[in-house]
Amino acid sequence: MSAAVETGWIGRSLERREDARLLTGRGEYLADVRVSDCLHVCFVRSSHAHARIKDIRLDAALEIPGVVGAITGAELSREIQGQKIPVLIPAFPAKYRQYWPLAVDEVYWHGEPLAAIVAKDKYVAEDAAAAVEIDYEPLPVVTDAEVALREDSPRVYDDWDSNEIFGTSYTGGFEADQIAKNDAEVEALFAQADVVLRQRFRTQRCGVCPIETRGALAIWSETDGLTVHLTTQRPHIERLALADLLELSTAEVRVVAPRDQGGGFGVKAPFYREHVVVCHLARKLGRPVRWIETREEHLMTVSQERDQIHDLEIAADREGRILALRNRGIGDVGDGRQGVYWGFVMPSLGSVMLPNAYGIRHADIKLRCAVTNKACMSPSRSFGALPTRFALERGLDMLARKLGLETAALKRRNLVTEFPFISVTGVHHDSGNYVKAWDKLVESVDLPGFRALQEEARASGRYIGIGFACGAEFSGIPSDVLVPLENQPGYGVVTMRIDPRGKIAIHEGDAPQGQSHETTMAQVAADAFGIHPDDVSVRHGDTGTTPLSSGTIGARGASYTVAAIAEAAAALKAKMARYMIHDHGLEGATADDFSFRGGAVIYEKDGNIRREFAALADRIVMGSINLPAGEDPGLEHTAYFEAPKPMICFTAQAAKVEVDIETGQFTILDYATCEDVGTVINPIVVEGQVQGGVVQGMSNAMFEEFLYDENGQQLTADFENYRLASAADVPNVTVGHSPTPCPDHPLGVRAVGEGRPGPVPGALANAICDALAPFGVESTTLPLKPEMILALIEAGRAGNGG
Amino acid sequence: MARPTARKELIGQSSDPRVPVSMTVNGERVEREVSPRMLLSDFIRHELRLTGTHVGCEHGVCGCCTVIIDGKAGRSCLAFAVQADGADIRTIESVAAPDGSLHPVQQAFRECHGLQCGYCTPGFVMSIVDYLEDNPDPDLSEDAIREVLSGNLCRCTGYKNIVAAFRRSAELMRGSR
Ligand code: FES
Ligand code: FES
Repeated sequence: MSAAVETGWIGRSLERREDARLLTGRGEYLADVRVSDCLHVCFVRSSHAHARIKDIRLDAALEIPGVVGAITGAELSREIQGQKIPVLIPAFPAKYRQYWPLAVDEVYWHGEPLAAIVAKDKYVAEDAAAAVEIDYEPLPVVTDAEVALREDSPRVYDDWDSNEIFGTSYTGGFEADQIAKNDAEVEALFAQADVVLRQRFRTQRCGVCPIETRGALAIWSETDGLTVHLTTQRPHIERLALADLLELSTAEVRVVAPRDQGGGFGVKAPFYREHVVVCHLARKLGRPVRWIETREEHLMTVSQERDQIHDLEIAADREGRILALRNRGIGDVGDGRQGVYWGFVMPSLGSVMLPNAYGIRHADIKLRCAVTNKACMSPSRSFGALPTRFALERGLDMLARKLGLETAALKRRNLVTEFPFISVTGVHHDSGNYVKAWDKLVESVDLPGFRALQEEARASGRYIGIGFACGAEFSGIPSDVLVPLENQPGYGVVTMRIDPRGKIAIHEGDAPQGQSHETTMAQVAADAFGIHPDDVSVRHGDTGTTPLSSGTIGARGASYTVAAIAEAAAALKAKMARYMIHDHGLEGATADDFSFRGGAVIYEKDGNIRREFAALADRIVMGSINLPAGEDPGLEHTAYFEAPKPMICFTAQAAKVEVDIETGQFTILDYATCEDVGTVINPIVVEGQVQGGVVQGMSNAMFEEFLYDENGQQLTADFENYRLASAADVPNVTVGHSPTPCPDHPLGVRAVGEGRPGPVPGALANAICDALAPFGVESTTLPLKPEMILALIEAGRAGNGG
Repeated sequence: MARPTARKELIGQSSDPRVPVSMTVNGERVEREVSPRMLLSDFIRHELRLTGTHVGCEHGVCGCCTVIIDGKAGRSCLAFAVQADGADIRTIESVAAPDGSLHPVQQAFRECHGLQCGYCTPGFVMSIVDYLEDNPDPDLSEDAIREVLSGNLCRCTGYKNIVAAFRRSAELMRGSR
């Protein structure tokens, strides 16, 4: 026990516990796990976007020395269950298609795995994969969701009546007549409106690929069954799914998410086909089997999100007050066969989140999702909401220009001001002061000063502009939302254990990938018990030792898991207080009469009655005689936290850019945010989350785009063609704060993990269009490539008569 | 499962030829026999079990695999181990002092929160160590630093804190001269 320790650990920029190992090359990532006698898997992937598999010949591959075996989809489909199992299916209607992890008769996208080779090392496995001979019979390809939704489109799945995998209305109610009534009301508001904006917005296929790719290392033991180390954000869900698919008892499956994972951002949240193949092969061969994804495989198959089209209409009055909103969205979900999300859950949530942050009372929002011959959409940070955010934030700027209003003022006028607020799509906005945060942001960028500067600059032929956007995204996801959405619980849970030396161990079933849990969660527990964070350890990701939870997704760490820590600490403190009352004969005292500080438990009414924290822990854990009546020995507690309704975290963002009108190139001069994150546990960690999220949004908006040709060939499967922003491409981001503690969280925290990239493309595009207002430029598509901007300038010039 | 036939004795044995390589890694001489196509990154990670050097792309873009080869930062995924025969190589494992105290660059990353998941970090640290050894008085303007860092990708931090860590590294190293 550390003597005379400080208290007040919450709110400090403590250096991170993780860093000592990560900085010295002692991280424990998946590819670093070493087991002897391990074999390597390489997947054979389809070279066609849609084709019948006529024949697969493995002979030449098997001839290569070092090859141990090979398996095809046909064989695998006889040995394991198909992937359409309840634990991997959301609880609402859609076309969930049965599939096996290796294609059986037909391939549906360029890159779909259809066989797996096991060999002594990856070099041999790759040689053998290249030697597999496959005869394909090409079938018609559809790569455009709008085309796919037409009656006469070729079908991705020939036994489906259409390519629509999912479609719904998010407004009006669940019954057709309720929806029709709502639509008519919205139409009436449009008919009366002073002004109506109608515009199509399109966001390109891109995502947040982590720098560490995916991987799995499976070990089979006759006595213990399967142990698999996996890159995953949700180890417990993987475990349930693997048991079902491999027809094992859950007692025989242990999933370990490595202590260190090289980023996830949603990409490591789905249940991927490769995992189960690796596990099955380990069982079949009775030897450890490993697969480490190559970057090419990664970019061909995952990290692809954002592929949406939105036909947005806004009806407003002369002052820019939004009267009603209408949106028809289209999601291009790729093949739509991927556990947990099936490609369409992201665009679906994007439509739900569309009106967030603004006090919009009337809307008609519908979405249709189509399967295409592309990789299945998989989630990325700002889950589904980046495209709708782009559409709305751009649309409101266009509306402001139409009305001759300052966009910052128009947006402010429409922000939610009364809480709790339930959006037209049912999103519960718990609390906050969005206007205050907005004003703080607008003040920080000196809008009047910038307008003056802009005038001067224009006079000298320079084009600078400012753009605003905001976002209100989930701070954790309650069961209320997560059970219907993903068929999984939303609660936060930890098991907290105090040992006889007063050291605390926290076990969490989630699996972070850089979010600093070991540091911030230790701060929270240390703060509660008045001990030093070094006396708290945080362990996560191993289903053998942690309570079941749905994973590190949706900004659940600081919101739900931290709340569970606070509740576990409160329960254990109350128990320790009861022992104090009993041992010291303090009849009538309650838990509130004790404070935990400086490594001691102190009776506030008489400071002489105190125990060292460790001594009291030892008494309760080891000295299990003379117990208080009805009390158990031991200091262990599992706490579940559930917020009644979603908690929301607000961000307001502003970009300043300069555009070169000869080249269409733009430079970000400045980027500022104002965040309402409630109580801050570790300021430097929170700021890091915001900066990283914003730059992901910039990189998406400026550079990243997965391209397929008309035959569905993936053209961007390396970092040269799928380009990420480097340090030289982006500016410093200035992070401001306007906190309002969250009333539904025991510590008032709002989590920032999810939402930061979402508003960025809108803010940037708005700034560019503001700079180019003299040319009447309105950009409506991403990415913001110089060629596209130049074309808009030229079109504007032509429209202005040169 | 389809298995190789009639060559049971070969199962699990690659027929790749083996060639001897020797080099100095982190001050120690190492000698191995490896396949001529083994990447230097794999040699470091698998043969030498120095897993601090990471692989993010294996095609020379991300910079995760950066090590210092004969005094120059280079990408170990772009070289074969045999090409490094006779070379002197430094990896992330050699950067902290033998007593475990952090190098100024590592210290700066820690102070400035220049890492989140840490996967890109060894590559950044090696690039910066190399750069500051060669340029003890670097240009510390924002643009100049960002240019120096542009050969390494980070997906988590947004770079701001890595820029700060570069500045702080230069300061600490100057202080320790
Ligand atoms: S792994 Fe070598 S540059 Fe990416
Ligand atoms: S810290 Fe995660 S990629 Fe840089």
